[in-house]
Amino acid sequence: MTGRTLTVLIAIILGVVLISSPVLAAEALPEHSADRLLIGTTTSLDATGLLDVLSEKFEADNGIDVQWVAVGTGQAIEYGRNCDVDIIMVHDRVAEDKFIDEGYGLDRRIFGYNYFLLVGPGSDPAQISGLNATEAFSAINTAGETDESVVFVSRGDNSGTHSREKLLWKGGGYDYAVINASPWYREAGAGMGQTLTMTEELQAYTLCDSSTWGAYESELTLIPLVENDDRFLNIYAVMRINPDLCPDVNAEMAKKWENFMISPEVQDIIGTYGIEEKGKAYFSPALGNEELIGVLVEETTTPVV
Amino acid sequence: MNDLITGIGIAFGLILTADPEVIDITARTLAITCSSTLISVVVALPLGAAIAFRDFPGKRTVISIIQTLYALPTVVVGLLCFMVLSRSGPLGYLGWMFTPNGMIFGQTVLILPITAGLVITALQSVSPGITDTIRSLGASRLQFLRSHVREARFAIMAAVIVGFSRAISEVGTAIMIGGNIKGHTRVLTTAISLQTSMGNFSLSLALGIILLVIALVINLLLGLVQNR
Amino acid sequence: MITIDNIKKSFDGKTILSGVDGTIKTGEIFAIIGPSGQGKTTLLRILNLLETPSEGNIILDGVSIHEIKDRNQIRRKMGMVFQDTIAFHDTVFNNIALGLRYRHYSKKEIQERVMQKLGEIGLSGFSNRNATTLSGGEKQRVSLARVLITDPEILLLDEPTANLDPISTEVIENLIRRYNRECNTTVIMATHDLLLGQRLADRVAVMMDGRFIQSGTVFDLFSRPCSGAVAQFIGIGNILTGTVIGNKDGMAVIETDGVRVYALGEIPPQTPVTIAIRPEEITLHRGSDTGTSARNVITGIIESVQPFGIISTIRVSHNTFRLSVQVTWQSMQDLNLAPGIPVTISFKASSVHGMPDECSHAA
Repeated sequence: MTGRTLTVLIAIILGVVLISSPVLAAEALPEHSADRLLIGTTTSLDATGLLDVLSEKFEADNGIDVQWVAVGTGQAIEYGRNCDVDIIMVHDRVAEDKFIDEGYGLDRRIFGYNYFLLVGPGSDPAQISGLNATEAFSAINTAGETDESVVFVSRGDNSGTHSREKLLWKGGGYDYAVINASPWYREAGAGMGQTLTMTEELQAYTLCDSSTWGAYESELTLIPLVENDDRFLNIYAVMRINPDLCPDVNAEMAKKWENFMISPEVQDIIGTYGIEEKGKAYFSPALGNEELIGVLVEETTTPVV
Repeated sequence: MNDLITGIGIAFGLILTADPEVIDITARTLAITCSSTLISVVVALPLGAAIAFRDFPGKRTVISIIQTLYALPTVVVGLLCFMVLSRSGPLGYLGWMFTPNGMIFGQTVLILPITAGLVITALQSVSPGITDTIRSLGASRLQFLRSHVREARFAIMAAVIVGFSRAISEVGTAIMIGGNIKGHTRVLTTAISLQTSMGNFSLSLALGIILLVIALVINLLLGLVQNR
Repeated sequence: MITIDNIKKSFDGKTILSGVDGTIKTGEIFAIIGPSGQGKTTLLRILNLLETPSEGNIILDGVSIHEIKDRNQIRRKMGMVFQDTIAFHDTVFNNIALGLRYRHYSKKEIQERVMQKLGEIGLSGFSNRNATTLSGGEKQRVSLARVLITDPEILLLDEPTANLDPISTEVIENLIRRYNRECNTTVIMATHDLLLGQRLADRVAVMMDGRFIQSGTVFDLFSRPCSGAVAQFIGIGNILTGTVIGNKDGMAVIETDGVRVYALGEIPPQTPVTIAIRPEEITLHRGSDTGTSARNVITGIIESVQPFGIISTIRVSHNTFRLSVQVTWQSMQDLNLAPGIPVTISFKASSVHGMPDECSHAA
């Protein structure tokens, strides 16, 4: 076969692939178009079902298809940096600031919060129950060195929860690299749900956001051992992707979604979602709680224009 | 054990009651997998024929490379396709990231080496006497190819079945390119993965059983075609 | 008319055909005979454009066929039946219909023609059978039908009846004869079976060492083999080499292994020559009393006796000179022949065929 025929052949193959794929696709939607909003979201908003409720309402109000990819905060930000999503919903202040500084993130709005919990087995081999966050982490580290039954499972996926966990180790005066290399420390490299399942199987400790915990606790024997610590505050933010850097994003709908998220109506939904089913809300609304969670009122009320 | 029994129960419940979400996921799985299988076969036939019937320098190396790619890890394909299909990648303008199209693209890339490689093997296994006879009877190029495909149809059908099976069972590219978006890119394997991560083992198992039943039915159907 | 013009072919430096020349007339049955591995198949494949000659031309009706770009234009005038029986993994019907499908015949016409061919090959009712399940002979009949159905002007057959059952052999031979007679189909067949050539062919050509070395009717070959190799191939028993030492009374005197043999026809003296003497034309006598009028009379001793059915082959030696003689089982008994017994053999000068090894390389 000559080089020319080979080239022609390859061209034909590529042509066939490119042309036939959209034709054959089950649902060939025009992507990044005006009638779809794609969100890169942290897993807790998906796992609790909150996004199902919110998207349904938003779709009804705006006649648009809302879709989301549920991943860790780190990956959601990465998707944003690649212009693959229109908007992100995350919970990692430090990573968010960096993303905004780089020019990708615009108009951060705070729409809700919850708390992290340190959960573990009822037997509590490291005896952390009743301690504060710093003491508990320290106790796990100490007990882990001698007691084989003490294991800590980390998300290990650069998610917001993972970031917070690292921050907590650092805050306790530990070198995270040393912690990470400890024999009692396991990196799951997975989402919150999967990490909880693994923790359950290993009867270990892990850091979990209260919302995901609320969705999973009925299936687990693990119990919350440390909660209500200021350092466990977990704030959720929404921000759109800069259309100057990602010209294909659906900027208009992204703005609408941000305003939707901070609207009193949605804030009310956030504050009540879960009560009916679980007896308590998964998330708390940011509106009206700015001082408690230490954010500016502008971040929870100023509409995006 | 309990999960296993409940899982089987739930599976039949979901199938018998035609649960709309399960139907939706199953239909999407079939549409995407069939598309990628079809595209890969449409590409693999002429490509395989060109490699099988022509002599060119490096032919053996090309075949070895194709056969090595049988073992291509799905997550590697997922990663490569992600880099290609992402907005910041060379085919980003297509907007296929997190879409069924992107998943079809990824699965096609994943199974093309298998279908092409098996098509090459199938065509090369046609005896030289048959090839001579086809030539001697004055077949045009297209007739030549058609007669060979017909003669090797059992082996080619096997290529289709293997390609389909790999496509329907893979989760790496589906989750990396599709993103497991509910109602849009969620397929059986990614749904299983999600349900497992959420601790719903029974539902996962149910979806797994449905996946197996589909694979079985498709194999039987293709087997019927093969025996015709 | 097909002209084969100095066809040479080598594969990987190994010469298969070393210059084949010949002319085959339209409507002729032409058999290429020769031992296996002498290039017969390669020549047929070149004729069918399945191979390209390294050198030379095949000219069909004034056109050099290997220079034509559209090979099918030539191929569709021909039909080739291969030595290895070919059956597609398909029904007998589809096996036979293939050539017509390539030529875009209508469904109706294909149906009619295939049914007719099935009758001709004696396989009516086999239409829906899987062809690969047929016997070797049946498969070969299907192969022939597959080719004949396209009405080829030229039929190329490679060992068409080798290793087949007698019924299939007869069906195939009759069909070849019939198409040749009724449709004036030119038939070129390769065979190692001289008798097949004798039964079917108008003309045979002996192929050895990659070229033709003698052609003519089978009778021509038997009566005047051009070389020892030809004589050996067609099975003439006694082949000797010698030198002509003179001519006498219209006979050549040839010395071979210390014995003088008289052969009919003059050959220039000092010519090295190969002679063939048919064993069945040699008479054997007990003792030295012959009373024969034969020109050649040689005394010797029985070296060995090899029975074969009712005929025994007896090897007689005179010093280094050796001849094979065939005698009936009855004569063996009457003459009480056994190794070591002195005998006399005699044969006419006309039974000695001198071959000057001057073969004509064109057929």
